[in-house]
Amino acid sequence: MKKGLFAAFALLAVVAMAIPASAHFMMVYTPEIALDKGKDMDFRMVFTHPAEAGHTMNMGGVKEFYAMFQRGDSKAKKIDLMPYVKEIKWTNPESSNTAYSAMLPKKLVRSMGDYTFVFVPGYYYEEEEGLYMQQIAKLIANVGGIPGNWAEPVGLPCEIVPLIKPYGMWTGNVFKGQILSQGKPVPGAEVEVEYMSHMPNLSKNGMPAKSSVNYPHDCMVTQTIFADAQGYVTFGIPKAGWWGFAALGVGPMTEYKGKEMSQDAVLWVKAVDMK
Amino acid sequence: MKKLMILTLTLAALAFAATAFAHSPLCDCFDNGDGTVTCEGGFSDGSSATGVKMYVKDGAGKVLQEGAMNADSEYNFKKPEGSYSVFFDAGEGHQVTVNGSDIVE
Repeated sequence: MKKGLFAAFALLAVVAMAIPASAHFMMVYTPEIALDKGKDMDFRMVFTHPAEAGHTMNMGGVKEFYAMFQRGDSKAKKIDLMPYVKEIKWTNPESSNTAYSAMLPKKLVRSMGDYTFVFVPGYYYEEEEGLYMQQIAKLIANVGGIPGNWAEPVGLPCEIVPLIKPYGMWTGNVFKGQILSQGKPVPGAEVEVEYMSHMPNLSKNGMPAKSSVNYPHDCMVTQTIFADAQGYVTFGIPKAGWWGFAALGVGPMTEYKGKEMSQDAVLWVKAVDMK
Repeated sequence: MKKLMILTLTLAALAFAATAFAHSPLCDCFDNGDGTVTCEGGFSDGSSATGVKMYVKDGAGKVLQEGAMNADSEYNFKKPEGSYSVFFDAGEGHQVTVNGSDIVE
């Protein structure tokens, strides 16, 4: 009996170890980022593991949420979106936590041009690793087809600047971006890439248990790429849908409340199939 | 026969002009809810529409008001009574018509 119990525990331990070590991702999600005409835009901001509808974490509140709007070569304009941020509960199959929603009225996003949405969460304390994390996330949308500032740095402590229109990608396109810290390229930056395999359900505020991808191995869940000597990363997009890029520990903040701190830059892009 | 050839060539040239996708004109208008309408314009390559001629026409096509896109590639006008349309005229092959019925708040 004892032996059996021991075996069971050993098995559990092995199973626990085998739970894929997927990446933390600050998700900034709205269903469509290439719009013909401006309309109400419904957002969800969730700190989770999007490839596996995994553990959802408390992001430590919201510091900033805004959009930098630009049409053509006109001057970029900042639109504060904090008045629209609401606290919600986000529920994944095995985990639930505080997250945020924002319903942006059409009048804010009706003009043709690029909207670079910037979401700055608070600090999340990762107990297991004894460190704080903050993922500053960008999502770039376009209304009406007139491009604007999609390839311009916002001027964040750290950010990923795309070199390919992040809202206009075909499946199979190569994503290219530059990792910046305080405006300067980060040579050799480590960047994690994940696919949103569990599409967010906005009415239920959660992700479904069913994945759209079968991962043959842990290493396929979170892919890792490194920036070159000029801070550029490239990544071929193999499947239509949402892809998240997180450049780890590239921000200038390295300590918070006497603990180690990882200030990361996140960018989301969407690819569609050529039909 | 020669005439047919010329006609065909002309048609081909026109077709070409209409499919200059790298530089398509774009224009959208909004009813400001205060009796005025704002139109915004530009091009698909990001270039400015400043100075582009704008015409407001009635249902019969008669020009009611005319002006040009300002420094912000915008044009404001007083909303006409009845049916109307807006014509964004950046030259041949670079024109957009917006129907008044599609102009909402």
